Amino acid sequence: MAVESEHVTADVIEAMEFPDLARRYGVRGVPKIVINETTEFVGALPEAQYLAHVRAAVEPNGNTE
Amino acid sequence: MALISEENQETIRKHFDEALSGDVEIVMFTEHESPIIIPGKQPCETCADTQALLEEVTALSDKLTLTVREISSSKEEAFALGIDRVPAFVCNGAARGRVRFFGIPSGYEFSGLIADLVDVSNGTTSLSDETREYLSALTENVNIKVFTTPN
Repeated sequence: MAVESEHVTADVIEAMEFPDLARRYGVRGVPKIVINETTEFVGALPEAQYLAHVRAAVEPNGNTE
Repeated sequence: MALISEENQETIRKHFDEALSGDVEIVMFTEHESPIIIPGKQPCETCADTQALLEEVTALSDKLTLTVREISSSKEEAFALGIDRVPAFVCNGAARGRVRFFGIPSGYEFSGLIADLVDVSNGTTSLSDETREYLSALTENVNIKVFTTPN
């Protein structure tokens, strides 16, 4: 996604090396994805559901306009 | 001894030959071993291996380069890239946004690194048209953190 938009920054974080981050973001299983500090999910999702989480983070009130 | 087996090196080299189109520079931030022990400060356990792994990966294509920076003497550059810990690196190429890795990309994450290098080289992904249209129309910043483990 970061390849497709100048507004996206993607961070791949090795949780065991950075236990402080793993604790801060409550990582109990991987892959855990956190978007804009507000939306999160665990596990590999189909692309459409992944995108829905990005939308939820960007448009928290559900306003898609 | 090489971290990537000869067989895997050959497979990845062929994949890069076919899949890479543009140049990618990996800028890695590291912390070299200090002879001085600072109380409370943990030494970087994976910096040397991460650098060695990235040296091996970038040696598999002439489109890939590796630049290594000591974080203590490159604080401004690291800060500008949002890097506050080591080992960490960014993949600069044709990506519109920014792709960063924190920690060694070994195990499962190694294939993710190879795939990301290809996408960053080409400036495109295999995402659907709908996803790509949504992303290209974004006006707000989005940060996606993906926590992984090697196995």
